[in-house]
Amino acid sequence: MAAVDGLQFQEFDDAENLLGANRDATTISIGDPNEKPTNQRRSLGNSPREEDDDLLGNADSDKTELLAGQRKSAAFWTFEYYQKFFDVDTYQVLDRIKGSVLPLPSKNFVRLYIRSNPDLYGPFWICATLVFAIAISGNISNFLVHLGQPQYHYMPEFRKVTIAATAIYSYAWLVPLALWGFLMWRNSKVMNIVSYSFLEIVCVYGYSLFIYIPAAILWIIPIEWVRWITILVAMCLSGSVLVITFWPAVRDDHRRIAIATISAVIILHALLAVGCKAYFFDAPQIEVPGVSGSIASGNRTVTAVKTH
Amino acid sequence: MNETDLTGPVVFCLALGATLLLAGKVHFSYVYGISVIGCFAMHALLNLMSMSEVSCGCVASVLGYCLLPMVTLSSCAVFFSLKGIIGTILALIIIGWCSLSASKIFISTLAMDGQQLLIAYPCALLYGVFALLTVF
Repeated sequence: MAAVDGLQFQEFDDAENLLGANRDATTISIGDPNEKPTNQRRSLGNSPREEDDDLLGNADSDKTELLAGQRKSAAFWTFEYYQKFFDVDTYQVLDRIKGSVLPLPSKNFVRLYIRSNPDLYGPFWICATLVFAIAISGNISNFLVHLGQPQYHYMPEFRKVTIAATAIYSYAWLVPLALWGFLMWRNSKVMNIVSYSFLEIVCVYGYSLFIYIPAAILWIIPIEWVRWITILVAMCLSGSVLVITFWPAVRDDHRRIAIATISAVIILHALLAVGCKAYFFDAPQIEVPGVSGSIASGNRTVTAVKTH
Repeated sequence: MNETDLTGPVVFCLALGATLLLAGKVHFSYVYGISVIGCFAMHALLNLMSMSEVSCGCVASVLGYCLLPMVTLSSCAVFFSLKGIIGTILALIIIGWCSLSASKIFISTLAMDGQQLLIAYPCALLYGVFALLTVF
């Protein structure tokens, strides 16, 4: 270290230089996981396997170390058990939302944003917002399509809210459950280095639904090709985030199973989007012109019969 | 915020119901039901998100006091209809005002830093339901 110079500000050397002086010192580095290899190779007592786990986001090694001393086992019906899933800031949530709509091939969503802190706040509120956005936009587009027609009396359909809620919440919880079970089963057969916990998969799926909220608002526009382009763009963006997330988990498996898993993920995602659009935004357009036409012709025939 | 005072909130809820009555809508039961459900939901959410515990009375007190701008919105509805662009913008401003003040009190009481917007969003949904009641 440089000589102490009274009240002058001292520049601290880099971690590498300090470690060069004292090889046994423990260091704390705050930064990307990418930086870790340089420090860990110098400090003693770190096996390569721990390094791999830290890099690839496997949370189990961290948690077992921390929890070995104190067992904080709160029962699952108390609030304390669920408190650890709501430990997020505004910026973390906003970052995760941004990460879910901008797929970058080098950045794995789970590793970069979730990093063994999966939260339930994001998935729950994004699903709730999506349910209301779809229900409200469906009613508005229904209202706008039939704005000029005198026969159509506008009635808000609240039954659509419950159907939307059931569909979206079951997609956000059952598909991650199935995927997690499938990955666990394959994990026991093939040695994968990457495994995601159930809550991390729920988190990824929840945040990937965020892109459908602005899409649902854009679906109010009654032009068909605008709606289809919106669906395609939304699907591509969030679908690619899902693919980038789950590809490392299946790439070590047999070729066919890996491709089947990834295509199942994409197909289910597409099915949700197209199903929502078809059920909430398209159906009345097909039915009502026929009904109103037949009512009009029915009135004419009734009046014709009456006059004779 | 150690003393939970429910007088103010009850007076404001009654004032909201009275101004809605002046506009021709009898919605006392809806106001009561939405307040109770919203209070329980916010109580659950705040207990999950903060380290210190909150009582239901404290949550009810804060939510009730921050309902005051909604009372001004519904008194505006007596004089002119809110079903237009101006009404919508006014309703959005009032919702934002209510939810930001409620979330500010919550995070200062419970020492949850960096989570103001996360608390403001559910509050905005709750006050949005009140605004729907007022506008439509």
